[in-house]
Parts: sequence; structure tokens; C-alpha cells
Amino acid sequence: MATRAEPERIAATRRRPAPRRVRIPWGSVVKHGILLSCCAVILFPLFWVFLLSIKSLPDAYTNHIWPNDFDFSSYGTALTAIDTLPQNIRNSVVLTLATMLITTTVAVLAGYALVHLRTPGKRIVLAILVASLFVPSRVTGLISIWEIQDRLGLINSTWGLILPYQTLALAVSIFIMRGVFETIPRELAESARVDGASSFMILRRIMLPLVRNGVIVVLITNFIAAWGEWLLANTLTNDQEQRTLTVVMASANAGFGQWLWPTMAAMYVVAILPGLIAFILVQRWYMRGLQEGALKG
Amino acid sequence: MASRAATVRPPSSFHTIWRSTTRFARTWPYLIPALVFFVGWQLWPIIRALWISFTNFSFLLDDSPESAKWIGFENYVNALQDPLVRDGLLNAAIFTAIFLPGMVFLPMVTAVLVDRVRNQKLATTYRLILLIPAMIPGPLIFILWVWMYSNGIGPINYVLVDVLGVYDLANQPTWLGSTNTTFVSLALMEWWWGLGFHTMFYLAGLSTIPKELYESARVDGASEWRIFWKITFARLRPILLVLVVLRFGTAYALIDEYILTGGFDRSKPTYTWTVYMWDTAFQVGDQNRGYAAAIGWIGTVGMLAVVLWLFYAFRNRD
Repeated sequence: MATRAEPERIAATRRRPAPRRVRIPWGSVVKHGILLSCCAVILFPLFWVFLLSIKSLPDAYTNHIWPNDFDFSSYGTALTAIDTLPQNIRNSVVLTLATMLITTTVAVLAGYALVHLRTPGKRIVLAILVASLFVPSRVTGLISIWEIQDRLGLINSTWGLILPYQTLALAVSIFIMRGVFETIPRELAESARVDGASSFMILRRIMLPLVRNGVIVVLITNFIAAWGEWLLANTLTNDQEQRTLTVVMASANAGFGQWLWPTMAAMYVVAILPGLIAFILVQRWYMRGLQEGALKG
Repeated sequence: MASRAATVRPPSSFHTIWRSTTRFARTWPYLIPALVFFVGWQLWPIIRALWISFTNFSFLLDDSPESAKWIGFENYVNALQDPLVRDGLLNAAIFTAIFLPGMVFLPMVTAVLVDRVRNQKLATTYRLILLIPAMIPGPLIFILWVWMYSNGIGPINYVLVDVLGVYDLANQPTWLGSTNTTFVSLALMEWWWGLGFHTMFYLAGLSTIPKELYESARVDGASEWRIFWKITFARLRPILLVLVVLRFGTAYALIDEYILTGGFDRSKPTYTWTVYMWDTAFQVGDQNRGYAAAIGWIGTVGMLAVVLWLFYAFRNRD
């Protein structure tokens, strides 16, 4: 077939005026057109805020998108112009790492118990967790969360925020881990148990390597939830030294005084960059984790 | 084996209790760490808020809810007659109605399109770019969009006024400032944020549809439109319904975006029941937390009622 087609194609290209009309694949044009414009709409605000962070001061106070002069010094001033900022960033990092670590650990343990162990009452636990998705406990419970933190002496304490932060994505994390654990055949745990392995050994040695992608999805989910958390941090802390980067940025009077526009934009880029870099680094496993059952939860 | 079979007795109550106790002891340690946080900072607070809602606990007047007076349903009666509560509930409902269709259908369109991209590398690139906003925490998204919509430096009005000339400086839209455009602007922001993540849900659903279904439908001469409705949409419906219920839940109880874009301005539509609750509990007057808890529970009950109704409506049709 190929050898016979070859001379014909050469002949066709030699006879320049092609007898066939060129069919424009309209379906494909529309498809890629829509997707490309979606991508453009998504990337534009991020591109714009990055550009704002490297604009010179006079350019930053007009609304022109492309500046006349660039000025890369805003990243330096962002860290020195607001004297609490290094502390705020440290607070955010500590809180986020603690939340990622603790919530992921407890979600893995709970997901394991809900799928691979004969846990009494697991249906009830699961039902309550599902129901919690439809109750705005984050809002309605806020008054009592304040009270609990007050009793524990943790109002206006960055460390104290670690406790309520565990519930930010707890139910979702457990669902993700449950979905991923369900993709592992029960016989695997069963046969290891017959061989005399304890349930914790089975989790550590057999299960954990298999649910790695799901763990990455949970880690990222908790990173996003904790890194940008605003409501609890804003409600439960008062002093600027105790607050997180997000709260300080949100309460900043952007464009005025010490909060110059390029400085604000530079802070913003610093705030969103860790998440984007982490995502790019682990995207392969993240995507696989999503497909493996995280989305089925 | 034989000797063991011979010793089998009807299980005594002691045995069953012992067995279930050991099973409990072996399995619940895995659940307890999660449940400590879940019960302590999620379940208990909302139950406690219910209790507080029946008292006249004001933070600046009383030491604790226990020292406040139990006033029964008085908070609820007052709240239901409070125009701020009524408007707050109504405004949250209006926003949900604007937000929900776009949040559920736009990702379906992009998912169907991405699913049809043959080039694997291109398809992955589309997915990655669409997912980028999902990697930015919500409150940071809202901060960015307040700048995007601003009249001073916002690029949106720059394009509309300076580049396209659709508006001039005097009549340019004040996106988050005027009552008419606020919710639409917020919905656009939410769609931008959620598009990629929700696309992933639909893509997961699309990947389970066997390709033979399409082929045989094409052989039978079905039109693309018919194929979409009869196969693709039919298969995506369960995901669609789950997303409607889940997103309804989040949309009706939003608070961060309302405070971050509208503040505590009572004349703005963003002053919904959640903002009013926060304002009452932590800012205004004697910080009447009993009343605030009642507002919170009215919103919660209203939301739960709609969720149950949605479940009922969707179950009936399937």
C-alpha cells in the first residue's frame, strides 16, 4: 500500500493546482479556539499581576498593561517595606506545613480503617463525614471555635491556629484517601494478614507505596487550604506579628502608603509562587492521583 | 479440625462482647486521630453554636454562654423579622442562582473539548493550564480579582475604556461597586477559579465511557448532537448532579469573598447572612453571639433543606 501510494502523492504535489478542495476542519478550529481562549483568560490575570510587580512606580499607577520602564526592585522592597512580613511568611509556612503533615497522616490512617479494616461503625462515621460536606460548619461553628480557642488560651496565637486548621480539608482528605484505598484489592491485605503481618505493617509496607499518588493529592489539597486560609486566621488573631501572609495582604490598603502597587504585586507573586512551583513539580503524580479515584470520592 | 468443630458452642454474650471490644481496640486507633479534630473543631462547634443560639450571650457583657440567660426561641423570632437576615438569605440565594449554572456547565464544555484533543501532549498542556487557578488559595484569588476589577489600575476597564473605547472614564462599570454588577463579577471570578478543577471531574467521568459506544452510534448514523445528548451527557449526569449539590452547599455559605470584596458595608448585596453573622458576633455592639449563632443556624437549616430537596428531586428522576 505504502509503496503504491508514494509515487501518487509525489505526482500530486508536482501537479500544483490540487484538484481537491482543501477542507478546513472547522470542528478542530472551534475546539482549539475555545480551549486556547480559555487558557488565555486563565493566564492573563497571573501574567498581569507579575507584570505589575516589575513595573516602575509611575507605570504601576496607570492602568496601562505594558509599562514604559521596568523595575525589578519591588521584590526587595516587599520584604523590607513592611517590617512584619518575614514573620508573617514564617507563620504561614509553619501553619501550612503542620496542617499538611497532620491532616494527611490522620486522613491516611482513617481512609485505611474505613476500607481495609473491619472497623465497627464505619458506616456511621462515613455518613457523618458525608453529611458534614453539606453543613456550613466553617461559618456557623466559628463562634464556638473562638470559644474553644479562648478556653485553651490560644486566641491571638499562630500556633493555636494549627488545631482548627486540621478541619479545613479533613473530610475531603479522608474521602480522597478512601477512594484511593478502594482501588487496592482487599486480597492483598488479606494475604498479608494470613502471613502474620500486623495491620500497621500492612499499611506501611504494602499500602503506602500504592497510595502515593493519592497522598500527593491530599498534601496539595491541604497546602492550598491552609496557605491561603483567611477566615479563621483573621478571626482568631489580632496582632500583625501573629498573622499570616494572606491576612496581612487582605487587610493591606493596596496602592496607598507603604503598600505601593508594585510592592503589593511582588508580595502577591511571592504568595502564589510556592503553590504553582509545587504543582508543576508533582503534577504527574497529582494527575494520576486524581484519576486513581480521588475524584470518585 | 474435627476436635475444634466439636467444641463449637453457641457464642456466649461474654464472647461477643470480648470479640467486638478487641476489634474496636484494633481498628479505632486509626480513626481516632481524625475524629478528634473532626469532632473537636467541626462537629462540636456547630452543636455548641446551636446551644448558644438559645441564649442571650453577648461577648462584652457575659463571661461565658453559661452565665448568659436561656431565652428559648427569642433570637430566632427576632432574626426572622430582621430585614438584614431576610435580605442576607435572599442575596445569598441570588448569588447561588447566578453562580451555579456557570460553575456546573462551563467545565462540562471544556471537558468534552479536552477529551476530544487527540494529541496527548496538547491535551495534558490544556489540563495543566486549566488547573493553575485551582492551585491558588481562594482568598488570594479574591485579592487578585479586586485589583482586576479596580477602576484605578484594573486591566479590565483599561481594555474597555482605553483600548476598545466601549466606555469612557465617566461611565465605566464599577464592577464590585454597583449592586447590579457585583454578583455577576463575583461569579465570573469563581468560574475562573473553578473551571479547571471541575473540568477534571468531568474528564474522569468521560474516561469511563467506552469508545465503542460512540463508534457504533456513528455507524448507526446518529448525528454528533444526538450522540452528545444520548451518550456523553447521559453518562455525565451523575457527576453533574453531585457537583450541583456540592457547589450549592459552598455557594450559599460563602463568606470570604463577600468580606474581602465588599467589606461590612450594609448597603451592598455582599452583606449576606454569613457576613451579618460575623459582624454581629465579632464586631458590632456588645458582640451578641447568641443572636449571631441563631443567624448562622437559620442559614444552616435553610441550606440543609434545599440540599435534602435536591437529593430528593434528583433521586426521583433517576
